[in-house]
Amino acid sequence: MTSAQELVDDREGENIFRVHRSAFTDPAIFDQEMAEIFGRTWLYLCHESQIAKHGDYVATQIGTQPVFVIRGSDDDIRCFYDVCSHRGSRLTGRTSGSAKTLTCRYHGWCFNAEGACTLVRGGDEAYRPEDLDRMDTNLRPIEKFGSYKGFLFGCLDADAPPLDEFLGGAMPFIDLMTDQAPDGMEILRGESRYMMEANWKLQTENSTDGYHVATVHRNFATTVGYRETLAPEGDSGMAKTEASRILSLEKINSGGYDVGNGHMINWADRGNPEAGPSWPQREALLQRYPAGKVKWMLERGRTVTVFPNLLLNDVASSCIRVWRPISAELTEIETWCIAPKNEAPEARRARIRKYEDFFFPASLAVPDDVRAMEGAQIGSEALEDGWNDLALGHKTLVDGADDAAKELGVTPLNSNPGREVETPFFAFWREWVARLTP
Amino acid sequence: MTYERSAAEDLLYREAWCLDNKCWEDWLALYTEDAVYWAPAMDGDEGWTDDPDKDVSLMYMDKAGLEARIFRIEGHDSYATDPLPHTAHLVTNVLVHGEQDGLTRVTATWMVRTYARVRGGSVRGGLYEYGLRETADGLRIATKKIFIHDDRIVGPIDVYNV
Repeated sequence: MTSAQELVDDREGENIFRVHRSAFTDPAIFDQEMAEIFGRTWLYLCHESQIAKHGDYVATQIGTQPVFVIRGSDDDIRCFYDVCSHRGSRLTGRTSGSAKTLTCRYHGWCFNAEGACTLVRGGDEAYRPEDLDRMDTNLRPIEKFGSYKGFLFGCLDADAPPLDEFLGGAMPFIDLMTDQAPDGMEILRGESRYMMEANWKLQTENSTDGYHVATVHRNFATTVGYRETLAPEGDSGMAKTEASRILSLEKINSGGYDVGNGHMINWADRGNPEAGPSWPQREALLQRYPAGKVKWMLERGRTVTVFPNLLLNDVASSCIRVWRPISAELTEIETWCIAPKNEAPEARRARIRKYEDFFFPASLAVPDDVRAMEGAQIGSEALEDGWNDLALGHKTLVDGADDAAKELGVTPLNSNPGREVETPFFAFWREWVARLTP
Repeated sequence: MTYERSAAEDLLYREAWCLDNKCWEDWLALYTEDAVYWAPAMDGDEGWTDDPDKDVSLMYMDKAGLEARIFRIEGHDSYATDPLPHTAHLVTNVLVHGEQDGLTRVTATWMVRTYARVRGGSVRGGLYEYGLRETADGLRIATKKIFIHDDRIVGPIDVYNV
């Protein structure tokens, strides 16, 4: 079998970085990924605002394992395998819900929101006390569970490093989103789950790919631009989009970073930052944070791609996207709109409309991305010796921080000016190789 | 005034015909200038979002938004909509519920079979709620709310295939 190492042709001294396309198609590689990446790394589960009250839960998956996150009577949040300790039925019957007692629908065993078994139906008659001790009827917590600024992560490897250590260089960029929200952030109502007939890593690349914006999303820009000519009065103020920037021939101050552990940043100065929903908070933010950080918050659109399958997008609107591998050729994608609590109604409305414009499977952008990635999947099946060359931007890559990173006071592993670069992908692929190499 | 079911059916069937035959200008003309087109998103396993200003919708558009969707299709620059799939709308169970806020309330059930060579056939379904208004040009659509029942959506959702 081909090893992951053989699939990534990474020759730093020779300015060569290529990925063999069978990385997107080989079922044996997929099985390794599920075991070594999705079975062992920290993965995003949900946001704490989705489980605000005792008993609120969200059911999801970590790799192939069903899990659920639930708030207990003590206000602590826990994550359990979503499996009845009796005969393995999935306990939650919904993608999200509220239950201070979870009752297994199969045989009626009950569990409280702290995971303790509270009823073995008929147990007193059928079991000796030592039987129940031996069986350990309580729910099994997942191996590691943690929160960073309200974003909840889980990990099935008991020996994994702490969450903060894993997030590492991505944390200052996550803070740029959360620090806009003095009262915390919340996930808005309105879900979207869609399927992509392509490998999950194509979505990881696409999430931080500034190079496709001017081609795949040219249509988004012209369409939204056309719409603004129809309703100029309706698309003023915060409703005004920044789409025209996609077509701009002017050089936009922008860049890409490798911030370590497989995490990637892509950013670009916003064309019209005063139309942003958080712009009215600018003065208040300047009281609290250095000017360089506030500039990053409000005047720079950012995509933060956390290894292996999470995107925090803070551009014209704000989006969380998670992509879960089903097979080498099929991926489930889920997105949520996240916003500061107690946002003014006008800002909230503008944020929502811009989210719908871009981030949903019914939007003017995501369907084109999905089609592009599905096209890449078909093409990846084609050649025995097909390689994706990712050297775009190699010429301008610099070690450490560029000027923009210095404004934020962070030091990426490397920086690259310009959004049309592929060098941030090196972060992902090097981490991918490391995790798949015994 | 409240219309006979046949008048509402004629309008709903005409809309389906326009979409399936890609007669976009005729389709747009079925909507009033102040039309609201709304496909709420799912909220939990059984519900849908109900406040477009506070919740996220799959689509929430005025007439300019609908015209922009047609502009997008006709520009042939959207990877997802070029080539455009074939669609067949089945609109049925049409009921007139009387008048509310100056509009005739009509509900219907829909299924759309979409076929694209690149991904084959797919079927989606759900419910419609219409608010219809008599204008100088005849009966027109002032509001359309589309409940899309499908989760884990395969392929794009757009005005032509729901």
